[in-house]
Amino acid sequence: MQHVLAPIAYGIYMILILVGGFLAVRSPSLVRALLGLITTLFGVAGMYLLMAAPFLALMQILIYVGAVSVLIFFAIMLTRDPRGEAGREADSHTDRKRVIQAAVCGILPAVVLGTFIWKHRIAALPLKAEVGLDKLGETLAGPYALAFELISVVLVAAMIGAVVLSFERRKSG
Amino acid sequence: MNPLSAYHIAALCLLGIGLFGLLSRRTLIGMLISVELMLNGAGLSLVASARLTPAIDELGQLGALLVMGLAAAEATLVLAIVLVAHKRTGTSEGDEMSLMRG
Repeated sequence: MQHVLAPIAYGIYMILILVGGFLAVRSPSLVRALLGLITTLFGVAGMYLLMAAPFLALMQILIYVGAVSVLIFFAIMLTRDPRGEAGREADSHTDRKRVIQAAVCGILPAVVLGTFIWKHRIAALPLKAEVGLDKLGETLAGPYALAFELISVVLVAAMIGAVVLSFERRKSG
Repeated sequence: MNPLSAYHIAALCLLGIGLFGLLSRRTLIGMLISVELMLNGAGLSLVASARLTPAIDELGQLGALLVMGLAAAEATLVLAIVLVAHKRTGTSEGDEMSLMRG
């Protein structure tokens, strides 16, 4: 049963990732691009579930879908172009050239890496037992406490930096 | 197909799509969306490598979690930078953004 259902679930999540990714990079409207990004994020969360890492899947939905996409939506809302094209990407003839160049430069590294992975593929073990949340917490609070503290410092620095950057200095005189 | 390769191919697709978007998008926010796609691919590949090889399981999952935290910090900063750049130059397109005249 598992050997039949797992590839089907993988295929569904893969389709979600591909369709969402295509929408995210090609949609002329940035709001639709954001919707594509969210679709992709859900697909990746499904893949985490398929790998029996439910904590990561929930964190993916909580952090990315809940926080990051709302931030990006705020960015789209606040930077509306006054020239009318609200949140839209301009379409023109130079665009086609740009897209072809981007396709070559973007897909080439992926193809090179893909052939490398295919040539040197490692035999996969059967899926290990699910790691409990307590084990993850102990690792994060025990031997890797420094990484935990550092990511907190980075987050605080980013928040303070964002506030300082967007702080309007009152003009004197 | 090997499950590990299958997950790695999904991660590679995300990398390719993200790079393509980063190079073809004109607005800074479109580029930010593409960068998020690539970071997701990196996390997926990390977790797949930790779950399906003899590597330590917790390390891969915590690494992916840290990548998510860094992505959140990065998105916050980029939002602030885009807002400031938009306020100063009046556009959010990378090519047109210029403070020099002439």
